[in-house]
Amino acid sequence: MFLQTIAKEAGVVSSAYVVAFFVTFELLMPVQALFFPEFPSRASLLFLPHGVRVLSAWLLGWRSILALLPGVFLVFLYVAGTGAFVPSRLAAIAIAVSVPTVIFFVLRLAGWDLHPQVGKNPRWVWIMIAGLIISVVTSFLTNWVFDSSLEDYFAYLIGDFFGLFFLLLLLLLGLRHFERVRAP
Amino acid sequence: MTELSKLTELRKLLQDMEQSLGLQELSTVEKDVYYAASDVAVAPGPVKTTALLDHRLVADVSRPTFFRALKSLVQKGYLVHSENSARGYYFVKSPER
Repeated sequence: MFLQTIAKEAGVVSSAYVVAFFVTFELLMPVQALFFPEFPSRASLLFLPHGVRVLSAWLLGWRSILALLPGVFLVFLYVAGTGAFVPSRLAAIAIAVSVPTVIFFVLRLAGWDLHPQVGKNPRWVWIMIAGLIISVVTSFLTNWVFDSSLEDYFAYLIGDFFGLFFLLLLLLLGLRHFERVRAP
Repeated sequence: MTELSKLTELRKLLQDMEQSLGLQELSTVEKDVYYAASDVAVAPGPVKTTALLDHRLVADVSRPTFFRALKSLVQKGYLVHSENSARGYYFVKSPER
């Protein structure tokens, strides 16, 4: 039963991560290149997968590590091929899947428990703030592993922030459309 | 936490965003009709359309606009047709929050 739940969560979350990645890099990046042709970084300024990472960590807690792992690994495999197995990329995968839930845990230890609870209304601004903290830590660690430029660091931050915001907005509009279609 | 409650939490989060950004689901007329229905409704009974039409909140709303808003509120699940009463009766449903 527990394994079934883990497998189901991994299926949903990893699929969402892979879809978000392809939307970001196959649809949004060409648009970004049109509007910001002088922007030299290869980082996306609207990185939707960050939203998937944050929301899954918020909803699933530590289980998000297992849920995200297949999706994040597949994306690295697609981008780098067998290069996904080099230590720096394996470290980046570990950072990408673990930092979100660790940050939510640390925030709880610090007295700011954002995890969903029955009878408590979540605030999207709080999730955005948590997403920003996750982004700062993830960007810092990833850039340290890859020895990237300062420009990349800020590009990651901007991309993560807008990625989370637009993913929430897309979910909101998608849910509204689904409810309208479903209504008798 | 069950799968359903996770979806509920996500929905609550999106509703909070919707309200903060002013992207509420209901138009001004829909809100007026809904508030009028909530005002007229005597729980657990249904609300009659003619009673809604007499409410001062919708006094300035034209008939076609009123009925469009009514239909939209039913589609969005804010009002539900009363199956046990004659036509023109609706139950008011509280939006989840």
